[in-house]
Amino acid sequence: MIALSLIVILPFFSALILALIYLQNPTKNREKLYAKLALVTPIISTILSFVVAVQLFSSPHDLILHHTLFNWIDVGELHIELAFMADRLTAVMLSFITFIGTLIHIYAIGYMRGDAGYGKFFTYFNLFMGSMLLLILADNPIIMFVGWELVGLSSYLLIGFYHQESQNITAANKAFMVNRIGDFGFIMGLSLLFVVLEGNGYSFSAIEQHIDSVDRGMLALIGGLLFIGAMGKSAQIPLYVWLPDAMAGPTPVSALIHAATMVTAGVYMVARFSFLYIEIPQMGEAIALVGAISALFAAIIASFQDDIKKILAYSTMSQLGYMFIAVGLGAYSSGIFHVFTHAFFKALLFMGAGAVIIALHHEQNIFRMGGLKKELKWVYIPMLIATLAISGIPPFAGFFSKDAILITAFATEHYTIWAMATATAMLTAYYMFRLLFVVFHSAPKSEHNLTKLPSSMTKPLIVLAIGSATAGLLGVGEAYGGTNLFASFLALPDTPIHIEHQTEYLLDSINIILAFIAIFIAYKLFAKHSKYPLQTLPIRSLIVNKFFIDELYSIIFIKPLLLLSRIFGYVIDEKIINNLIFLTVGGYHKSATLFAVLQNSKVRYYALYILIGVSLISITLLKLLGDL
Amino acid sequence: MLENSIFGMLALFLVGGSVAMISFKETIYSAFSFLVAMLALAGMFALLGNSFLFLAQIMVSVGAVVVLTLMVILTINAQDENHPQEPYKFRWILFTTVLVTPIAVLIYKALVTLHLHFEKTKEGYGSLKAMGETLFASWVLPFEAISVLLLAAMVGAIAIGRKESYFKKQEYFDNYDKKKEDAS
Amino acid sequence: MVAEQFFILSTLLFSIGLIGVVSRRNLFVVYLSIELMLSSVNLLLVTFSRLHNNMDAAVIALLLIAVIAAEAALFLAMIMQLYRSKRSLDSDSFANLFQGKGKI
Repeated sequence: MIALSLIVILPFFSALILALIYLQNPTKNREKLYAKLALVTPIISTILSFVVAVQLFSSPHDLILHHTLFNWIDVGELHIELAFMADRLTAVMLSFITFIGTLIHIYAIGYMRGDAGYGKFFTYFNLFMGSMLLLILADNPIIMFVGWELVGLSSYLLIGFYHQESQNITAANKAFMVNRIGDFGFIMGLSLLFVVLEGNGYSFSAIEQHIDSVDRGMLALIGGLLFIGAMGKSAQIPLYVWLPDAMAGPTPVSALIHAATMVTAGVYMVARFSFLYIEIPQMGEAIALVGAISALFAAIIASFQDDIKKILAYSTMSQLGYMFIAVGLGAYSSGIFHVFTHAFFKALLFMGAGAVIIALHHEQNIFRMGGLKKELKWVYIPMLIATLAISGIPPFAGFFSKDAILITAFATEHYTIWAMATATAMLTAYYMFRLLFVVFHSAPKSEHNLTKLPSSMTKPLIVLAIGSATAGLLGVGEAYGGTNLFASFLALPDTPIHIEHQTEYLLDSINIILAFIAIFIAYKLFAKHSKYPLQTLPIRSLIVNKFFIDELYSIIFIKPLLLLSRIFGYVIDEKIINNLIFLTVGGYHKSATLFAVLQNSKVRYYALYILIGVSLISITLLKLLGDL
Repeated sequence: MLENSIFGMLALFLVGGSVAMISFKETIYSAFSFLVAMLALAGMFALLGNSFLFLAQIMVSVGAVVVLTLMVILTINAQDENHPQEPYKFRWILFTTVLVTPIAVLIYKALVTLHLHFEKTKEGYGSLKAMGETLFASWVLPFEAISVLLLAAMVGAIAIGRKESYFKKQEYFDNYDKKKEDAS
Repeated sequence: MVAEQFFILSTLLFSIGLIGVVSRRNLFVVYLSIELMLSSVNLLLVTFSRLHNNMDAAVIALLLIAVIAAEAALFLAMIMQLYRSKRSLDSDSFANLFQGKGKI
């Protein structure tokens, strides 16, 4: 079905056109042209995605749409085509990525107004869209990896968009490098997979068919290595350090890439390889544990941050941990469902935060904001809905998706994970409402002079708010009378869980109560007068400084590496190797000088040299003649 | 017996003269030692029965070569400061002796393998008549060639030995134009 | 009187001459040493003439004497010229003849 290729190619094509127009004259102000061009292809991709989704919805559940562009590599046993495939998982991912992507494009048209690199921004943005769609639609792991890398590239380009400040460039480099470390594991996993399959074809369906022939230990190793890639891309411990720094990019970038799409690529990968991870439940448990620890860790740090975007970044990391808990424990549909709902409310939160930032002239510290409830009403209401959703309050989307994950953890008897996840849920409610109260309710520290927000920034917020409110209804579980349309649509190989409806109601109520307690605490501390709580707690400085992880990494990894580089650069290369070469050259010079001494232009010496030669010949002859 | 003692004496003078020749610092002493050696050599020729060469050796080698050498030495009249100061003379001689020994041994051994010994000579051996007969019977071409050689040597000696003032004149002509420029 | 005596003598004279050529700096001594080498060959030739009992080698020796004379003339002329240019009889002082200035 050619729509698949078009979905991927069109954004790349428009990125190219935008780049050419931009490069032709970078300084000319052509904002309207860029905006129009940039918006065309996401809209077309959205429409085509919906067409694909409808097609798949009305067909039996194992229909897979294919489209091959061309043969890419054909070397010996390695046979890779540039092909696209769409099954139901793809359809789900496509729909929300293109839809939210289009909304954020509209938002960015308003947000980036007045910026000198307007055209450049939309080039990169479209490039990102194309890359993400390539990743989703890929038919085999290699093409997915191409998309994976391209997304990392777009992320780097967009984080470092405000390149005049060097710390932004550092953040971009950090993101790219940490991503790269994850990609190393990913490549190792893919190579191992290719080796053990012994050339039986390399698309996802081919791998799925032959997965039984691989021994379990090797499979666990491959699964672990692939998860390292996911760790890097989706910011889990220990490869998460790039995500808070990535907030240096413009807010639409944070909204699209670091909330809704790129960071979910890791989760998508695990879901795509569900046929592999099903076979290795121990690795799945390890993944779930990593997810749980990351979730709790990020929630703790977020509770003490005061930069609005950093709070949301840590919140993203925390929610990603939830998704990994789900896919780790075999509940692939729940994981993807949480990806789906999270995309809505997280994108909304970031866009709202961006609106607040623009309104307050690029102020990002929440403790300098306050009382914006009345003036930014149309930002406040969507953000309230999103905050309610992320805290897991019914009937908003987050309740259904998050609680499905908690139920899974409890039902499969992973009580530590369940406890950590519940604690994280409570903290999530706390810090999200802390953010809401401080920004919108508490008394302002100073008079605010608000910039007028363009409608292109506020209208998408409303659309997403409706989405956050209602998306949850797609996945209502049986306990509440729904038929879990989402899971049945996806038809992923979920591990079946058996749990009493009573227990389910009990657990969900516990969650809601804990969430309300947290909201109440936040209200008490922040709603009237915002101030830093728990000032005197000694552990506070540890948490505020993010547990000094960045500094730890710097000492353990970065400084030795730099030292090694310096040794290689200045000592070994400059001194040793250069001197070796000079030694050779100098050696030649010296020996030549030595020989030059013999040429002293005195005839007597030359006669002596002749005599020496003749003498040696005589000695040789005498020896040969046998009578010395 | 007589022959051996004569041989011994002549050999003594020969070798002694040669060694003295290469050892003396003053040039004249070397030349005189060479004279002694040449005379002894002539005696050797006589001992070997070749009366003509005995005479020829004295006439040419002593009468021409040594006399000419002495003449040149005395004409040049080099003072002591113009003589080369040879501080390491004996070390050089020693070193060269060590180098030359294998060559000498090789030559001697080559000669010894010929296994030749003296026989009774025929009548008129070594006389002028026998020399003349052989010379003009088989060796005419070398004889003529030698005469050309002598001519060439004469011409060459005259050409080499010209006074420097001739060359100086050439220099004068070469730099004439340059001198004109310097003057004006 | 055996042939070996003369052979030893001839070889000895040749080597003495060779030593003199290489080790002395005085131009005259170099020249006289060359003469000595030629004369030793002369002795050898005459010995061979006696050994083979005909006059061929002696004739060659005669011609060689003529060569000696020619060489004497040239050599001495050269020494004269060298002394004129450098006022020295030291063979080491002519070290820059090679630089191609041409004129002695």
